[in-house]
Amino acid sequence: MSVLSTRRASTPMRVGKAVAVALLLVFTLFPAYWMLVSALDGQAGLGSSIVPAEPTLDHFRFVLTEGGFTVFLRNSIIVALGTVLISSVLALLASVAVARFRFRLRTQVLLMVLIIQMVPLEALVIPLFVQVRDLQLLGTLAGLGIVYVALALPFGIWMLRGFVAAVPVELEEAAYLDGATWGRMFRSVLLPLVAPGLVATSIFSFITAWNEFLFAMTILGGATENYTVAIGLRSFFGQHSNDWGAIMAASTLITVPVMIFFILVQRRLASGLTSGAVKG
Amino acid sequence: MTSALPVAVPAGVGHTPTPAGRRGAAGRTLASRVRPWALLAPALVVLAVLMLWPLVQVFLFSLQDYGLREIVSKEPNWIGTANFTEVLTSEQLWRVVLPNTVGFAVAAVACTVVLGTAVAVLLASLGRVWRTIVSSAIMAAWAMPAVTGTYVWVWIFDADRGVFNAVLQGLGLQDQAVNWFTDRWSFYAIVLLNVVHHGFPFVAVTVLAGLLGVPRELLEAAEVDGANGWRRFFSIIVPQLRQVFAVVIILSTIWDFKVFAQVYLMPGGAGTNREVLNLGVWSYVESFGQNRYGFGSAIAVLLTLLLLVVTVVYVRTILKEEEL
Repeated sequence: MSVLSTRRASTPMRVGKAVAVALLLVFTLFPAYWMLVSALDGQAGLGSSIVPAEPTLDHFRFVLTEGGFTVFLRNSIIVALGTVLISSVLALLASVAVARFRFRLRTQVLLMVLIIQMVPLEALVIPLFVQVRDLQLLGTLAGLGIVYVALALPFGIWMLRGFVAAVPVELEEAAYLDGATWGRMFRSVLLPLVAPGLVATSIFSFITAWNEFLFAMTILGGATENYTVAIGLRSFFGQHSNDWGAIMAASTLITVPVMIFFILVQRRLASGLTSGAVKG
Repeated sequence: MTSALPVAVPAGVGHTPTPAGRRGAAGRTLASRVRPWALLAPALVVLAVLMLWPLVQVFLFSLQDYGLREIVSKEPNWIGTANFTEVLTSEQLWRVVLPNTVGFAVAAVACTVVLGTAVAVLLASLGRVWRTIVSSAIMAAWAMPAVTGTYVWVWIFDADRGVFNAVLQGLGLQDQAVNWFTDRWSFYAIVLLNVVHHGFPFVAVTVLAGLLGVPRELLEAAEVDGANGWRRFFSIIVPQLRQVFAVVIILSTIWDFKVFAQVYLMPGGAGTNREVLNLGVWSYVESFGQNRYGFGSAIAVLLTLLLLVVTVVYVRTILKEEEL
């Protein structure tokens, strides 16, 4: 079983490993567990017990009705879906160009895509705030969506490039031999084969838009009705005391979809982040 | 180099007067020369307008006294390098902000990479069932959004009702509740916990993928030669995975220099506690809190330059490995 050793582990070794696994599980899962416990505990913040002292769904009910979280959820879904739709199309077209064609400046374009991902958002937020303001889109979901498309695009191109390159060239050649035009080949051969990669990239773009905080806070400003979930959470922080039960219930609502998506794409995500850098 | 694909296909193979057949070989070549740029154009326009131009702009802003008045009037108010002089001569930068940024990044990268690698080794030594269980748990930590993750850690360490204080008091280690967010060191210890918790899964998953690719014969040979576990790890695995470690370290460095929400959302992190500012948060609160967009831009430019150095190392590592 073991990869690093060919011998069977001794007993102290196995005990040590079991302890390490237990500690690791506690460390990784405790925050998510504590979030859930507090969300389900009617007395969250009054006593600290390891299971809900007073199990209730009241916090969730409050968050989704009086808390106005349904509006934030709707806003986030609109922005995220818009981002996914536009950025996937743009990323797919661009990735076909860099994966399938050899042209002048190709390497430079790829390097730019790579380097641009490293630019800190804190440096972009000031000029983009001014740009969005000039477009009169401050406080709107459209203004936020435009920015998110740009944020999701470089990684999308980088990731899809690998998927496009993995489609055997022979299949495309066969389509040409059958008399297909480039457009026909793209639709009938390339697109279906890249679809899994497109799904993975879309999920990643969705998560980017769903989790983003800095631009949502800056661009939406005081437009509470357009808040996304990431900044909507702040409405549960009071002047003097925080409603931790509600905050944790809302956090659970934000986190669960991301966790589900993440588990769906986990392998693609890891390989996408390092593709072009790590082989094997 | 010629175009890889369409050119290689002889046009009009069937000799039938279909639209495809009527276009000559020259037409195909022209089309294949224009096509990549046509495909790239929409993405390049978006990146140019929303990423490259803003980068130029932030540099231009940093050379101006750019406040609310300038945003409205659009009148440039050039002041040369005064903003940079002010940043680079401020005590705040050298005493607080730079140590917080660089010191934190170094500590976070070290912890993330060491923990991630240890977990990868552990995962590699587990059977299939436990490997699945543990890697799913790791995914849950990775999937936690930065915003909600930060709130959960804030809640755990909350001064009045947090579970951490309650446990310490319950064990008799502490007489009364402590506010962990006021002191610079304990503040960043919590940020560190948060960032490492969120960041080590990527390292673990990536290093594990590399570990599984190390040839078994090498390890067996070393074991026969009597090398112990540590020896095998440092003499065989580390050299084999040099490239993997380089990428993991550099990417973590880039991410850990840029932590924003994890600091900003903590109590006092949004500028009220000047002791805990890092470059990103400082730039933001100077810009949007004080309306000193020019000064904030100068700080942002410094952060970008710092990251550019790391990025150049990263790109060189990648280019060494493969042709793009």
